[in-house]
Amino acid sequence: MELVEVDTRLAYETVREKIVSLALAPGALLNEQALAQEIQTGVEPVREALRLLVYDGLVTFTPRHGIYVADINLTDLEQLSEIRLTLEPLCARLAALRCGQDEWTVLEALRAQQLAADPQDSQRLLDIDHKFHQALTRAAGNKYLARSLDLLFGLSQRLWTVVLPKLDFLSDAVAEHLEMMDAIRHQDADQAEKLMYRHVKTFYDRVRRILQTGK
Amino acid sequence: MLGIDTGGTYTDGILMVYASREVVVAQKCLTTRRDLSLGIEAVIQGIPMADPSAIRMVSVSTTLATNAIAEGKSGRVGLLLIGYDPELIASFKMESRFATEHYYYFAGGHDLYGQEKAPLDLPAILERVAAIKDQVDAIAISAYFSPLNPEHEHRCFRAIRGICDLPVVLGHQLSSKLGSVERATTAALNASLLGVLKAFIVAVRRAMERRRIAAPLLVVRGDGTLMSAAFAAAAPVETIHSGPAASAIGARALSGRDDALVIDIGGTTTDLALIEQRQVTISENGATVAGYKTAVKAADLYSIALGGDSHIRLEGDRRLAIGPARMTPIACLADQHAGIQSHLQTLMQRRRSLIEPEALEFWFLLRAPDGAAAPPTAQEKALVAFLGPGPRPLPEILAHLGLFSRQQVETDHLDRHEIIGRAALTPTDLMHVEGVYTAWNREAANCALQVMARCRGCDPKTLADEIRAKITATIVHATVCFLTGATLALSSETKASGDFGQWFFHNSLRDDHPHLGTRFALRQPIVGIGAPAGILLAPVADALHTELILPAHHSVANAVGAAAGSIMVAEELIVYPRVAADGLETVGYYVQTKEGRQLYDGLQDAMTAAREVSRERAFGAALRSGADNPQVVVEERPDGLDTYRIRATAMGSPRLARRRRPGKTPVSDDVRRARRRSEVAIDGGERGEISHGTG
Repeated sequence: MELVEVDTRLAYETVREKIVSLALAPGALLNEQALAQEIQTGVEPVREALRLLVYDGLVTFTPRHGIYVADINLTDLEQLSEIRLTLEPLCARLAALRCGQDEWTVLEALRAQQLAADPQDSQRLLDIDHKFHQALTRAAGNKYLARSLDLLFGLSQRLWTVVLPKLDFLSDAVAEHLEMMDAIRHQDADQAEKLMYRHVKTFYDRVRRILQTGK
Repeated sequence: MLGIDTGGTYTDGILMVYASREVVVAQKCLTTRRDLSLGIEAVIQGIPMADPSAIRMVSVSTTLATNAIAEGKSGRVGLLLIGYDPELIASFKMESRFATEHYYYFAGGHDLYGQEKAPLDLPAILERVAAIKDQVDAIAISAYFSPLNPEHEHRCFRAIRGICDLPVVLGHQLSSKLGSVERATTAALNASLLGVLKAFIVAVRRAMERRRIAAPLLVVRGDGTLMSAAFAAAAPVETIHSGPAASAIGARALSGRDDALVIDIGGTTTDLALIEQRQVTISENGATVAGYKTAVKAADLYSIALGGDSHIRLEGDRRLAIGPARMTPIACLADQHAGIQSHLQTLMQRRRSLIEPEALEFWFLLRAPDGAAAPPTAQEKALVAFLGPGPRPLPEILAHLGLFSRQQVETDHLDRHEIIGRAALTPTDLMHVEGVYTAWNREAANCALQVMARCRGCDPKTLADEIRAKITATIVHATVCFLTGATLALSSETKASGDFGQWFFHNSLRDDHPHLGTRFALRQPIVGIGAPAGILLAPVADALHTELILPAHHSVANAVGAAAGSIMVAEELIVYPRVAADGLETVGYYVQTKEGRQLYDGLQDAMTAAREVSRERAFGAALRSGADNPQVVVEERPDGLDTYRIRATAMGSPRLARRRRPGKTPVSDDVRRARRRSEVAIDGGERGEISHGTG
């Protein structure tokens, strides 16, 4: 992003944050002028930021109708879970095999933050969880895998936000991270892969149930 | 092209024809210190132009960075020092030079040969960052000898970005010099300015868009060259001194002189710079800002607190003093408030003993306080209420508040939010009296001068001459100090003091010794810049026995300089030996770039590779910064210990925006580039680091 104009970057980050946190609801119509006013930039950078968000799959342009926040629906969810259930365990496996000293230090630092965080502060726990997954992709040392997962993370983030208030599974995630780190420390690739599959699957099962039944 | 300069007093804008360097329109607006972007928006809004879409480049020079640092308005920074020796730093009392209170020492760093001095203590670093991340706005990292081997800075960067979202600045990317304290200071200042400059650029681009100007935005560096706005947002520390540097470039462009002394008299300060062989001379040492010594390359400057709006006053013993405070000229105040002139006329009738020296200082409300700017203390509230109906002279204010001296009045808050203003006699008033500049109330300026003359016990003409002589002496003194590097106290005592330096200086100024004649003779002409230059510099040129050149549009030369600069990118590589484990034998040579190093068997191979790589990198970076067909010059110099520095400088004129056809909105270059960029983003994240928050 370093070649993007400063104001475009600001608009991109602000609008992205709004979409991910559901402040801009899925399917909502986006008004470039109103966003520009709110962010206090010109309209042009907002327009360009929205184009970048199209590439992230968070915004859709509809010819003659306008610009919308991308919807969240069950089909998307199924497709997303299919691909993440394949890639995340692979990532965990590679991380167990390749994790270097620096990457390990980062994982440990995140672990310490997780323990120190207030268990009620789900936003903070979510942020740490996200960084934990990112640290694993770095440890896996495959840039194409990292790029794919980064895109998928961005799309899954909104699901997290949807289910966040409904159930308390972040404390489970804490325990699961601990197990996963054990597996990585012992370079047990099979175990890391298995744990990650379970971790991701549990998550999608719960999200699916909430979207279907509302609880 | 549109050139803009935000100075301490005025924000100037000029419209220039690129090919002929001809100034079409010039516009001046008052600088709004509380938010510089307001002044810029006013200039961009106000500048008359027939077709804004014809503008193909906008270039800005700004005192923003300097002001933010001096006024403590920049962001909070956590500075991580890797491999620094705390005891050594403490023994030289250098902690105060780091420009932040939050600095921490960690094990790590490299030695003179780029070899690891101690293992990097990453766990401790991450623990510290986790502890401070909610109290700072950015992190700066400087590792010992990182220009020779930035590995520890890179590893820190990667790890810190893994645990928090703060912007991280790396020392070696800002300076390839080995001075570890200056590098740490530069990194810390840069980190503290990230938010400030980002907000500024966003505001300028917003103002441009409102006028439908679709053109690249460039920012002037401290050495007068240009950089793209995106680059400036990442390296804001490079804008330090950009205003005076732009004025020197503008002086050269307007006067056509290749060698000259440029004296720029602004509202608040007078800045001196030298042009030699068409270039602004650059200071070998880094720029110093607000007392912090940095590793930033900037124009060699000398700045004194004397300008068109400097405070002319009589001190307690009725001695004449000028500056350093900046005042609104009385002529200007009287123009807006009818009561001032009659008040001055009453004062003129008063007996001399009843005129207090402070009677000529008026305070007034600039705007009604609101919200965050509401006065916090009872005294400030009383002051604001008292000034509500109109300006008041200082003695009345003190009497009203029941105080004896102005030192007792707390006005920091009101000053910072630009709620109260002060007016007094200034050089600008003198220009009104003499009729050379008459934008405002001439009669009031005349009255004020007479009041001061009465208080001093002389006639107005004598007083005016004394003031002018004092200004001349101050500027000549600054010139001598700037050109010689010598220091000499500027005393109003004359030659009688017995000190040779003093005698020589004052005799050269007046040359009235019965037997011995001395005089200053400046070999280059003076190019005068700024609105008051015409009247104030003529006697200076006489005293220095040289020619004074006042080019057309000299009052907006800074803005011209902003538009006339070239884009420059420098890449410095270091070639240094790899020593065997016993430390005695050289077993190869490293070529060190900002990202990594490459080992070569022989010095010749290493040097050849370094020349090629530096040339390519500078060329590419200049293209990315918006230079058109950049020309690259490669220089090399030995740096002791079998170490060599290879520096490639790519310079080119700014690439201008293509004129857009109306109707269709094309996908801009930014987006196209970003798309390409996003394809390699992870790669970049893994190896070639981007040191600043990029989202």
